[in-house]
Amino acid sequence: MVPRFFTAMPIPTPFHTRTQALCTSMFWKDWAGYYAVRSFDTCHEREYYAVRHAVGLFDVSPLFKYDVRGEGAMALLSRVMTRDISKLRPGRVTYCCWCDDDGKVMDDGTVSNLGDDHYRVTAAEPTYGWLCRNARGLPVEITETTDDIGSLALQGPTSRALLSEIVADTKKPIEKLRFFRLLKATIAGHPVIISRTGYTGDLGYEVWVSREHALDVWDQIYAAGRRHGLVPAGLDALDVTRIEAGFIMNGVDYQSAHHCLIESRKCSPFELGLGWTVDLDRPGFNGQAALRRELANGSTWATVGLELDWDEYEAHFTEFGLPPHVSSSAWRTSIPLYAPRRGGRVNGRQIGYATSGAWSPLLKKNLAIATIEPKFQVPGTRIRIEVTVEHERRSVAATVRETPFFNPPRKRA
Amino acid sequence: MVAINPFNPAHPDYPGRPDKPSRSSYDAIVIGGGHNGLVAAAYLARAGRSVLVLEKRPVLGGAAVSEEVFPGFTFSVCSYVVSLFRPHIVRELELAKHGFELIPLECSFTPQPDGDALVRWADSARTRQEISRFSRKDAEIYPEFGLAMSKLSQFAKAIIDNPAPDPNAIRPREIAKLLRLGKIMQDFDGDTRHLNLKLMTSSAVDFLDQWFESEVLKSPMSVSGIIGTFLGVRSPGTAYVLLHHYMGEIDGAYRAWGFARGGTGGVSLACARSARSFGAEILTCAGVSQVNLGPDGRACGVVLENGDVINARTVVSAVDPRRTFFGLVGKQNLDDEFATQISRYKLRGSSGKVNLALDRFPDFTARPGDGPHVRGDIAIAPSIDYLERAYDQAKYGDFSERPYLNVVIPSLSDPSVAPPGKHVMSIFVQYAPYEIKEGPEFWPQRREAFGDAVIDTLSEYCPGLKDSILHRQVITPWDLEQEYGLGEGNIFHGELSVEQLLFLRPAAGWANYKTPVPGLWMCASGTHPGGGVMGAPGELAAKTLLRSGEL
Amino acid sequence: MNAFDAIVIGAGTNGLTCAALLAQQGMAVVVVEAHEQIGGLARAHEFHPGYRSAGVLHDTTVVRPWVVDQLSLVHHGLQLRPTKPDVLALGAPGESLLLAGDRLRTAGEIAKVSERDADAFLEYRAYLDRLRPVLSQFFDRQPLDLIDTGMGDLWAMFRQGLSLRKLGKKGALELARLMPMCVGDWLDEWFETDLLKAALALPAVAGTFTGPRSPGTNANLLLHEAAAGTGGVVAGAPALVRALEKSARANGTSIRNGIEVKRLLTDGGCVEGVELVDGEELRAPLVVSSADPKTTLLELLPAGTLPRSTEEALVSWRTRGTTGIVLLALDRKPVFTCAPDKNIAYAQTGGHILDIERAFDAVKYRQVAAKPVLEIEVPTVERPNLAPEGHAVVAVRVHFVPHTHDSGWSEQQRSTLGDQVVAELGQHLENLADTIVAREVMTPADLETSYGTTGGHIHHGEHALDQLLVRPAPGCQRYTTPLEGLFLCGAGSHPGGGLTCAPGGLAATAIART
Ligand SMILES: Cc1cc2nc3c(=O)[nH]c(=O)nc-3n(C[C@H](O)[C@H](O)[C@H](O)COP(=O)(O)OP(=O)(O)OC[C@H]3O[C@@H](n4cnc5c(N)ncnc54)[C@H](O)[C@@H]3O)c2cc1C
Repeated sequence: MVPRFFTAMPIPTPFHTRTQALCTSMFWKDWAGYYAVRSFDTCHEREYYAVRHAVGLFDVSPLFKYDVRGEGAMALLSRVMTRDISKLRPGRVTYCCWCDDDGKVMDDGTVSNLGDDHYRVTAAEPTYGWLCRNARGLPVEITETTDDIGSLALQGPTSRALLSEIVADTKKPIEKLRFFRLLKATIAGHPVIISRTGYTGDLGYEVWVSREHALDVWDQIYAAGRRHGLVPAGLDALDVTRIEAGFIMNGVDYQSAHHCLIESRKCSPFELGLGWTVDLDRPGFNGQAALRRELANGSTWATVGLELDWDEYEAHFTEFGLPPHVSSSAWRTSIPLYAPRRGGRVNGRQIGYATSGAWSPLLKKNLAIATIEPKFQVPGTRIRIEVTVEHERRSVAATVRETPFFNPPRKRA
Repeated sequence: MVAINPFNPAHPDYPGRPDKPSRSSYDAIVIGGGHNGLVAAAYLARAGRSVLVLEKRPVLGGAAVSEEVFPGFTFSVCSYVVSLFRPHIVRELELAKHGFELIPLECSFTPQPDGDALVRWADSARTRQEISRFSRKDAEIYPEFGLAMSKLSQFAKAIIDNPAPDPNAIRPREIAKLLRLGKIMQDFDGDTRHLNLKLMTSSAVDFLDQWFESEVLKSPMSVSGIIGTFLGVRSPGTAYVLLHHYMGEIDGAYRAWGFARGGTGGVSLACARSARSFGAEILTCAGVSQVNLGPDGRACGVVLENGDVINARTVVSAVDPRRTFFGLVGKQNLDDEFATQISRYKLRGSSGKVNLALDRFPDFTARPGDGPHVRGDIAIAPSIDYLERAYDQAKYGDFSERPYLNVVIPSLSDPSVAPPGKHVMSIFVQYAPYEIKEGPEFWPQRREAFGDAVIDTLSEYCPGLKDSILHRQVITPWDLEQEYGLGEGNIFHGELSVEQLLFLRPAAGWANYKTPVPGLWMCASGTHPGGGVMGAPGELAAKTLLRSGEL
Repeated sequence: MNAFDAIVIGAGTNGLTCAALLAQQGMAVVVVEAHEQIGGLARAHEFHPGYRSAGVLHDTTVVRPWVVDQLSLVHHGLQLRPTKPDVLALGAPGESLLLAGDRLRTAGEIAKVSERDADAFLEYRAYLDRLRPVLSQFFDRQPLDLIDTGMGDLWAMFRQGLSLRKLGKKGALELARLMPMCVGDWLDEWFETDLLKAALALPAVAGTFTGPRSPGTNANLLLHEAAAGTGGVVAGAPALVRALEKSARANGTSIRNGIEVKRLLTDGGCVEGVELVDGEELRAPLVVSSADPKTTLLELLPAGTLPRSTEEALVSWRTRGTTGIVLLALDRKPVFTCAPDKNIAYAQTGGHILDIERAFDAVKYRQVAAKPVLEIEVPTVERPNLAPEGHAVVAVRVHFVPHTHDSGWSEQQRSTLGDQVVAELGQHLENLADTIVAREVMTPADLETSYGTTGGHIHHGEHALDQLLVRPAPGCQRYTTPLEGLFLCGAGSHPGGGLTCAPGGLAATAIART
């Protein structure tokens, strides 16, 4: 391979030759230093619908991956993660976040217990240094495997049927693989790890394979996929599905504590709605004392889902003689939120901001994820959100909703 | 090629002339046409005062000067990169209109003796990849370090952009200043406060050791702590200068390190033109030999080397404190205590310069070619031990045989400074102590040996160098003193060591540009916030003087 | 049931002081010491049959008078000298300068080489006298918390500011100028005699990773001078240890020596006791450690117990020891060639500031300088019983010796170091080589092993401004630690190393308050 420093950024993933051939739109993006497809066609809609109705195939290799091995691995991860990793049994995966000493979130991701004191961590940002800095005195070996392991996400209702056709050498049938569990298997004769996880909120799997076998595995999945309506999908489709699923995103819906120049930009797991990932009562872990304090004293912010009022939205357009317009892709700009005044039609003071959102083609709803003062976080609360219509700044009502917005039973079944 | 170089004082548009003054008396006389003197003059003239700048040399700029030393080759003879030039001065003095233009430095390139190299780019993702070849951990911590330093820079910026706080003062203005600094400190989290304390007291190496493991990274980072001081990278107190590299980001002027177009002299000439546009008069070849004191002990004008007397209501000195008080005012006119303070003020230059005219671009073994990696600064700082050894030699009165070098090749980004295809190379060298064993006056005898040591060192990384040299200019601390008027060759008009900063620069109780001699003010690098091509002392001095009501 | 109210780890001067003071308040205290003998860095040991050393630390002039008073050490046999002992500063062979305990005598000695310096010396001493009341507070008060400054601290800072005002406006500014300076520059401002400057500079850099040209070393000089209150203890450090031990025992403290603490027993953020190497567990609500901070918090605590930022701060806590020890057993009394008729108890080499600087240079490159600088003590002058009748012991502290040698500390390297010291010393002592019966050479690595101080650092951590102001790390700078029930009381805490007994004393006060 060409040494990375001489090459221009970004670099190809293990599946690049395949995705490149399919990406007729030439619509790429730099994801953590790798080329990643935004959408294979000029519009991502077909890819979106495949995820919800058949199966979408995403190349998620740029996700940072770390293998932690050794006697101290569990202790290290328990110290770093908000979750008590000592409770994570082999063959299981957990979603959690990790905090600095002040209990502010640095990143979120998953931890898988691969058995025999071997764990795999996925992260949105480089985390090797952080793991090392927490490992003093512990017998562990930490290696970054981002570049060595390709990962594919197979997401959608037919993903299970597809995989069951091509997966071999498993201890139990793939149909029996439960939500947030993993198993070892082979595809096209190559060893892979399959976890029942994903970022779309649908029935789905992620397949982990070493770089040298990546293309074979892709080919087998792709070939079998024909019978199951498989469509290769890009990040734009993923973005819409993750908002429907109510998943927050580092760098979009919150800023890692490592990048904040001022304290007020940082946020805690509770503020992100990730309080359920915090196991407070156990031996010390990073940020424990601060999190205890916050739980006792209350948080400054809350993260909620919002549904924009359609009728009011449409009315603004009607005023200009326009049909209502929504973008087909998700947005990621910060948009002010206001407390309602005078019967809810007028903006009061600012109470927060929306960080991302999308029009859900399935639910036919205008959705957003927002950071808001805690007293407004109860589902059903009505607030106001800024919209721009025909170059004019206006606002519409929005209702706080439970997330996930879209939560099909098949996700966990 | 017949056109006269704009930096040649013979050029019709040159902003200074070796003329006689047009009047016999001015509101203010500024002694010294370095960039700080010119900035001060511009601010005073802009406020409507009649101002005369007197520069000893035929060219303006002092240590921020461009000169066509060899035909076709324009050297930034002394300072070579513009760092931290205050953006508000550019706005207030309309310097862009007068030719001020900065070309940002691309990166920082550190070739290693083993043929490897590290390049730190403006693009953080690229930098991470580069560093991760030496340490993945360091690569990830590097941006975090940058963030911590940016936080701390808020503290440093508050210090640079204001006159020095006076810890003893009871005036509301001073107390407000201290409170402001206190507030910045208060807003920091505990870790950052601890870091701030360490930054102010520890050595560059110890400070970096807390973060990084790779020497390839630490060595070139640590050197920013020693530029212009007679200290080593392991000497306590050298850490805080690391901040200067991160100040640009919060300055409102992204990538504040750059080459001035035409060389650093471009900055000075823009300041001079601005001063002239506000009505200041600038004379060259007008060395001042004495500050005249009236019967009441007030400074009332100057005597030139040619004997001419010019009167003024105030005299503002832009030369170093030692020369100002001992050379121009005279010890006999100072009280003992102040004289002692000034005699204790440490100058001790420690740097030299080698400027080369090159026939062609010489390849660096580590990364051949004239790509973007050589369009920033190139540091010869292979290890911490190397840097310390260079320092150790200087402590005992020798120049370093294997010195720290900071090399730039401005002609790659600014073709106006060399004939087509040819290049100028500027090599900043440390350590070259003013006090060599034989005595500073023996520097001329050792000058060429010094130049050879520098070329030999660089040739180890750039083997074709010797063959491509057309001309070379070697500048020793002795030359900096004799020719450029820098006392003991100190590039910053006095060491930037902690005991000579803030309210202690140049002397306790006299850090506010005012001096014990009524009517005499100081405005150059020997005052707060110190040396470098940043214009801050000139600006702050002029503003303080105007506010004082003395003028 | 806890048999004890407090367990003190380590029976050095600070551990004993703390234990004695806690016991005085009615606590049941046990001191656990790894070594067979108590005393820590101040303990004497028999390095050759019949010959005993006088401890690694020897400067007893810094012992805090309030500790002496509170523990009635005089009652327990401590004798204080009226004046400081004389020190003979040795320059080039044959050249010497006597720094007498009495300043007028010293001035008289200096006048033989420089009248000007003799006057300057008296002025210098007078200046230090003026600073002492202000600076000695550093050793006698609870440390300020410069990181989490609360109202109490602001008030204390304000008060200290006021006491600075005693120096006057100029005096305070001058102090701000002096602290960050290098000791070489400041002494240059006072004196012209090289030997005098070097002699005054050495204490400021001894034991540190700095040379006299390193900025900030002047703060060490000023603090060292400010600390020197008494004339020192008759019979030196071991006598101080004996008095402390008696006082501690008189207050009911029990001392268990010869048994090492293996680890601290913790329960969810609380320290509940210690486990000894033999497996025995001692429990108490208070555990006070006089071991160095790295040992206590990074070695004795289970990994992962400390908050990460504290842990990280401690990892970068600098403990690069630079002092070696060479002990010589002589078959007769040593005779200094330049003062053959005098019974010299203390001497030091380093004729020029730059000699000391050169000796320091080497340690940066993990080597020993060609000419190390020596602090020499002849303990048998005051305590002839340390050696057989008519024989003598010479204890040399060698500056600067690296903890990690570039090529590894082998037996060979160690003996080269010994030879170097003997050769250097031989220039000043008559027939030295012929009189040596035995010698012991200890590098910082050896000190680390035998005294348990990380890096073999005799002050438990570098004496540099940053490590003096926040000692040792945020969250543990006032003898407390992030773990409930665990306290620090050693030289790694405020105000630092040396035989001041101040960390132990101030820790006891801090503990009593909680
Ligand atoms: C070799 C070298 C490299 C440097 N590199 C950099 C760099 O890369 N980046 C950076 O930011 N800084 C650098 N510096 C420092 C920077 O150049 C100076 O700190 C700054 O230029 C000083 O400006 P000044 O106006 O305060 O004083 P000066 O530039 O010294 O101006 C003083 C002027 O007074 C004149 N003068 C002296 N005596 C008399 C007299 N009796 N009568 C009349 N005039 C007199 C002198 O000729 C001179 O022009 C460097 C300096 C040197 C020497």
